[in-house]
This record gives sequence, C-alpha cells and structure tokens, in this order.
Amino acid sequence: MPKITLNGKSIEVADGITIIEAYKQLDEPIAHYCWHPGLTIAGVCRLCVVEIEGNPRLQIACNTVVQDGMVVNNNSEKVKTAVKWGLDFHLINHPLDCPICDQAGECELQNQYMEFGKYDPEMAEHKVKKRKVVDLGERIVLDTERCILCSRCVRFTNEVSKTNELGIFNRGDRSEVGTFEDKPLNNKYSVNTVDICPVGALTSKDFRFRQRVWYLKDKPSICTGCSTGCSVNVYYNEEGIFRLKPRFNKDVNGYWMCDEGRDIYKHINKENRMVRGRYKKDGAWCSTLPLETAKKAGEKLRTYSADQIAVLVTGQYTNEELDVFVNYAVNKLGTKNIFHWKNNPDGWNEFDGLLLRGDKNPNSKGLQKVLQKHTVGGEWKDLVNQIDKFKAVVVAGPENLQAYPDLKEKIGTLARLECVVWATADDNIAFEGLMDFTYLIPQKTSVEKSGHFTNYNGLEQKVDVVTTLLSDSLNLEETVELLVGESVDMSQREKEDMHVMKKNYFTTERGRL
Amino acid sequence: MEIKLLTEHYDKKEFRFIEGYKKLGGYETLKKAFSLKPEEIINEVKASGLRGRGGAGFPTGVKWSFLPQNGEKRYLLCNADEGEPGTFKDRLMMERAPHQLIEGMIISAYAINSPKSYIYVRGEYNYPIKVLEKALQEAYDAGYLGKNILGSGFDHDMDIYRGAGAYICGEETGMISSLEGKKGQPKLKPPFPAIKGYLGQPTIVNNVETLAAVKYIIRDGAEAYRKYGTEKSAGTKLFSVSGNVNKPGTYEVPLGYPLMDLINNECGGMKNGAKLKAVIPGGSSAPILTAEEVQKTTMDYECLAQMGSMLGSGAVIVMDDSNCMVDMLKVTLHFYHHESCGQCTPCREGTGWIHKIVSSIVNGEGRLQDIDLLEKIAQQMMGRTICALSDAAAMPTLGFITKFKDEFEFFVREGRSKVKEVRAHA
Repeated sequence: MPKITLNGKSIEVADGITIIEAYKQLDEPIAHYCWHPGLTIAGVCRLCVVEIEGNPRLQIACNTVVQDGMVVNNNSEKVKTAVKWGLDFHLINHPLDCPICDQAGECELQNQYMEFGKYDPEMAEHKVKKRKVVDLGERIVLDTERCILCSRCVRFTNEVSKTNELGIFNRGDRSEVGTFEDKPLNNKYSVNTVDICPVGALTSKDFRFRQRVWYLKDKPSICTGCSTGCSVNVYYNEEGIFRLKPRFNKDVNGYWMCDEGRDIYKHINKENRMVRGRYKKDGAWCSTLPLETAKKAGEKLRTYSADQIAVLVTGQYTNEELDVFVNYAVNKLGTKNIFHWKNNPDGWNEFDGLLLRGDKNPNSKGLQKVLQKHTVGGEWKDLVNQIDKFKAVVVAGPENLQAYPDLKEKIGTLARLECVVWATADDNIAFEGLMDFTYLIPQKTSVEKSGHFTNYNGLEQKVDVVTTLLSDSLNLEETVELLVGESVDMSQREKEDMHVMKKNYFTTERGRL
Repeated sequence: MEIKLLTEHYDKKEFRFIEGYKKLGGYETLKKAFSLKPEEIINEVKASGLRGRGGAGFPTGVKWSFLPQNGEKRYLLCNADEGEPGTFKDRLMMERAPHQLIEGMIISAYAINSPKSYIYVRGEYNYPIKVLEKALQEAYDAGYLGKNILGSGFDHDMDIYRGAGAYICGEETGMISSLEGKKGQPKLKPPFPAIKGYLGQPTIVNNVETLAAVKYIIRDGAEAYRKYGTEKSAGTKLFSVSGNVNKPGTYEVPLGYPLMDLINNECGGMKNGAKLKAVIPGGSSAPILTAEEVQKTTMDYECLAQMGSMLGSGAVIVMDDSNCMVDMLKVTLHFYHHESCGQCTPCREGTGWIHKIVSSIVNGEGRLQDIDLLEKIAQQMMGRTICALSDAAAMPTLGFITKFKDEFEFFVREGRSKVKEVRAHA
C-alpha cells in the first residue's frame, strides 16, 4: 500500500491506482474532461496536470501511477496557470452558446470556468466553424462546435457498447466526432454518450429543449425496465418526470444504463396514466375515485366462491406489496389459483451481455419467492387451460404496459370471464375490450412508493418515493385493504398533491428535431 | 571537413543494387555480426555513443536495452517517415544505399532478437519506395532475409509500409498507430514502445540513419566510430542544408563541426554573397539562431542545446537578409497547424490559435499585444501534450519572436514587412 501526499494530505492508497483516482478518493478537487472511471485513459484534455516533487515537468494525473512516497500537488501556481490555460484552449473555439445549450447548468466547461477561468478573453481570431445539429440517429443530436474532443463517447462505443460507431475525423482543430458516412448511432446504449459528454455536444433528442436542468430535482431510484434493476437518478419537477440517468452501482450497472430503460419515465408521467378508477356497468364505463372502484370491486368479488376466482400477478410490484397481495389471495380469497404472468416466457432468460434482459419486470425474483412461500403459482398457460372453471380474475397488472406487447390478446382471453378486477398504473386502449363487471384500479408507479425490488441476481434494492404524480392512486397494499373492505385514510393525500398539474406541452407534444 | 563514412559510395550507381553493394564490401558486416552474440552488438552500439539521428538524440544502445527480457515477440521499426520541414537525408540514404539500410536493420534486429521489421516510409517518397522494394527482393533472393540467414539460425522478415503523408506519423507512437491500421496519432506514454509497442509487443523504433550507422559501428568497432565527433556526440551526421547557400544538399560531417564551416566550406557560402541573417539548425521545430549565434555554433547535441536550440534531424535552413521573419514564422506555423493530430487540447487549439495570430499580423491586422500573447500561448503549449508536436510549434515561435521582435513590432505598427521595405530602398 503506497503512502502518498496529495496537496499536503497524506493518504494510503491501493497499489497500481493512478494519481487522479487517489485525488478522487481523497475528494480533493481535480479538473478533468477526458478521464472517466468507466473508460480507458485517453490523456488528451491535459487538465488533470499535477506537480510531482522531483519532476520538473507537470504530469497528467490520469496516466501516472502512484508510487510510495510521492509528493503531489495541484494547487501550486504552476499547476493553476496550466489549468487556466488548458481551459482557455478548450474554450477558444467553443461557441459559448450557453443560453441556448441544453448542457448549461450541468456543463463541465461552465463548472471548471467558475473554478479556473481566465476571465479575460484574449482570443481575437475567428473561431473554427464546424457542423451543427447533426442528426446522429434515433436519440442523439451532435453539435461538433461545442465538442471539446475528449473522446469519451468514442471510447464508450469502442469499449462498453462495443459497437464502434463513433470516431474522430480530420486532424488538428478541424477534428470532429462523427460516424462513418453519417451512419446512425443506434445502439441500445447510445444515450450513455450523452451522459458522459462533459459539454453540450451530444444531446438527447428526448430531453433537449424540454427543461432547464436547474428547474429539475433528482432523487435516486431503480430502473424498472427489466430484471437487471439498474440504479438511476430520476429527474423531475412539478410538471412530471423528464429523464432518467444511470447512477453508479458497481454491483449492478456500473456507470451505464440502456436506452430502453430511459423511456420508462414516459409511462410514469400523467399523460399515460389511469387517472380515475373505472368500472363497466351495462356496457358503459363509469369513473370514480380509485378507492371507490376498489371498494366496489371488493364487494363484487365477495359474491364468488374461492374456487371461482383466479389471481394473476406480474413482477412489477415491490416485495412488500407482493407479500400482502399473495397473502390476500391465499388467505382472504382462499384461492390457490395464482398465476405468474410473464411478459415473454420464451425469451425470459435472454441477456445481451451488458445490461438488458428479456425479463422486463423489476421484481420477478421477489414474486417467485413470495409464490414459493405459499407453494402456489402457475403460468399463464395453466390459467388458459382451466379458464372455464373461473368466473372472476384479480390482476396485479404490469405498471409498464409497453413491456407486455401481447396485452390486447391477453385481455381478449380474460374478457371471457364474468368479472375482472385489474390493478393498473397505465391506461391503455386495450382495456376497452373488457366487459361488464370490470374494475380498473389506478396504481402508483415505482417512483411514487417505497419498498424493495429483487433483481435477477437476487439483490434486494430499496426504492423510495421520488415524487407523487397522481396522489389518489393506490399502491397494491392499499388496494388489497380496500378489496377486503377495510378503509384507507386518504386525508394525507391532499397535502401531497400540492403541485397543480400544468398541462405539460413538452411531455405531451414531443416535437421532432 | 566532410567525412564520407555512410555516404562513401553514394555517388556510385552500382551501390544501389546487390551485386555492386557486395562488391563494395556489402553484407560482409552482417557475417561479422552473426559471429558475435546479440549482447556484444548491443554493448558495441552502447560503447559507440550512437544517438538517435531522427531528432530526439536518445542513445540507441540504451533504448535497445529497455526491452523486457520475457521472451515476447519484438518488432523493429525503421522510421523513414521523413517529414520534418528541411530534412531530406533519409530520402538520399534510401535512394542511394537501400542495402546499407537493410544490412543495418538485419544487424540491429539480430541484436535485439526481432523476427520481423518494417520500414515505415513517408507516402510521398515514391522513388525511394521503389528502390527499397527492389532491394528488399534482392536481399530475400540472396538469402539475407527469410529463414536461417547465412546459416546463422536467425530468421528475419522485413516489409515496407507506406505512410499516407502525415508528419505526426514520424513520431514513434504515431507511427505505430498508423502501422496498426489506426488513425496516425501518438499514444499515451507510459507504456513506452520498448515495453508495449506495435500490436502491444515490445518495439524498437530507429531512424534510417541510426540503423545504417549500426552497420559501420559493427564493421569498424565502437572505437573507430568514436574517432569522429565529440565526446558526447560521437560519429558523423548527415546534414540537409537548404536555403540561401550556393550548394544546398546533404553533407556528412563529424558531429561538433562548426556551422559556419558547413555553410562556407561544404555549401560554398551564401548565395550571391548575401548577408547571413539566421539559421534554423535542426529542422523547422528547432528554434532559430541569429547570425551572431551561428558564428559560435558547432553542430552537436550539446552545443545546440546550450544555444537554446537543437540538432533535431540535422536540417539546416540558411536564411539571408531578404527573408521576412514574420512571414517565415507564418509558414512554419501553417505547417504545424495543419499537421497537429488534434488529440491533445493545447496542441489542437494552440497551433491553430498562434497560426491565426501570426496570419493576422501578416495581413496587417496585428495588435501590439499579439506578440506577448504569442509568447504566452507558446509557453503554455510546451510540455503539455502527449507528443512533442506542440513543443515543435511553440519552440520556433518563441525563438522567432524573441530574436526578431523588432520585425514583428514593425509589422504590427506599419502593417507591412520591415525587410521588404529595406529591400525596396536598397
């Protein structure tokens, strides 16, 4: 274990790490653009320069391995001047279009400038003109003038996604990031390049111009897009959720997440949600408060005997909810006819080698555990085989209906039953196919409740309330209480609903590029 | 006095072909080399004091001894990507004496136990490439390359790789990137090529002249080689002299040779008897020397370093007083701006910036603070990047503006060249 001194502070670090990693461990500030802990070392931005005692030349911290007894500093005048100028070199051809740049507020150039800026511009020459608004594919727009050529995105496509789309073309100050012959950058992890871009060169089509980042708050959560359960930060404000970004978790997703997972916020936002509870009576839909619907559904369910009721459950609820729900099914409804509904049973174990899995539920493992505890649980096909013996079905449906593309077909099957009680967070046109005595009970989404999800690997991860989008929707526990005829105190809910929902033009009317 | 060691037979046409080369003693040294142990060759090269002739002047034998002793496959690369403005000695060596290079390379490869070598030739060198290709075929046919060379048990293959005309590919790791089929840009060091080079294997990169000199060190012994040159700069060196002299060309002189002698004796003095103004002694990246400094300059690594310049690749650019230094710097910077690979920010942005500033001055749009600004930028470009291209642009900038400041100030004030005015009145 080498002992080194950084800015006068002694620290013992692991063998073979670089100086910049030691700085990070010590939480001492060190400027850098090209270095990223999840990528190989490029050593090109030249901002992480440090002074090492006994070495007349400044060295870059990202490519210098610590040695025992090293005395390093990055707060001497020599280093400060080098960083100041290093930053100036980055800025001389940068367009400085911060007012219209989406990165503003989370831009490393801005951040470093506050710290190290030279403040007296000396560049009087014409800036280099490069391509702007380059359409890089489904999700990404590139502005090569803003690019500082740190090569993080290029290294990402080489090393992480291993798709190699991006490269740096031309030389010198004419260098540009791009794809060969402008082929699209459409890999399943492309938006990570936007995350790691320290400036506003790569922007997400989905997010750009929707919101200024300083109007957003973020809280940690778990992506519910598949059974990997990546750690994410959810960015939101009173208008809804705007984006998800990966949060470092060395046990699950490292620094990355997939593009598909980034879309899950769309079904969470109000526009796609089941806002009011609904039930069908005499061929017409009636809408009530969610808790009224649940109560009505409970009353109806009590008219059936235990063997007439089937229960269908998806791995889209927390461990706590599933425990209560299955317990309810077994002990209150008294049925053993509980079926695990999977999104894609044939491709259930698919895995792309990085993060994406075929099981599109955040908590299939947790559900299996609960079902095993009660020694129940069939498959969808078991339900279909014996469907004639049932009269009613209680469905703990998927929160994310997009993950269940055969929804309409499944609803068609369930419509043969006399009564369908369906807990759902999202609305969908397919529900129209259900008959009388259908009860649709609006549910909370993963960002609106707390609990635990168990990922594919058996890792139990906690989620907390990020924000409340629909305050009178229920979680599954509350739904069960109402189904059995107990009451749920909704008085606190009003307080949560402090945001008056504005119509969100951005999230509802997503324009094109 | 010109010493013809490497260039002894350069004016004989038969020296370019294997029969003539052999007749003049060619490939005899290779036989001698095979009678020695590889370590003995390395020690001999170390003892000779041979230093890299490509520009950096690093001791060749020391470089070879950096190779790890772990049995990994090693590569030998010959740097024939002669790109430094003003340099044209490698071209001559390849055109006139391809076998001399090949022989030197086989000896070197044997010394470092490398089964494969490449000659990376500058793309524009059509004719040298043709000559080398023919010579390589001849060497293969004669059994000097391939399996079990001359019954020594040593196998060696050699190939020619043609660059695409990028200056940066003359930097050894840039060359390795290019050879690997990647964009020609230098690699981060450490690891150095001797540890991890071409295809991740230990690799030695040497200049054409260095490898050719190895032959003569083995032929005559280190002692004989040391007879030429100075204590620390041993041997002879080929200088490419260009500019306002009567006889520009490539001259082989011992290191430590006075620069004025080179100009007056070998090159026949200044053209039209014009007054010497300045000399760039080691290629365009070497800081310029004023006429006064030239008087006391000897052409060796130490003296030039002491003068604040460098020997570089031995490209001597001689300028008389008709040359405008502002214009000269603009041309030089245009080159570096064009050739920067664009990886490291200080170089990518800095080369463009200083080129634009000097262009502005030449266009009559200069500001007085531009001269100080040039100096500040150049200082911040030095020692900040992966390779030395940034320094190569910054050093001449500093040299020009400190030594010929009055010309720059005149240009800024008057919007025209001081020199041209002088000439108009003369």
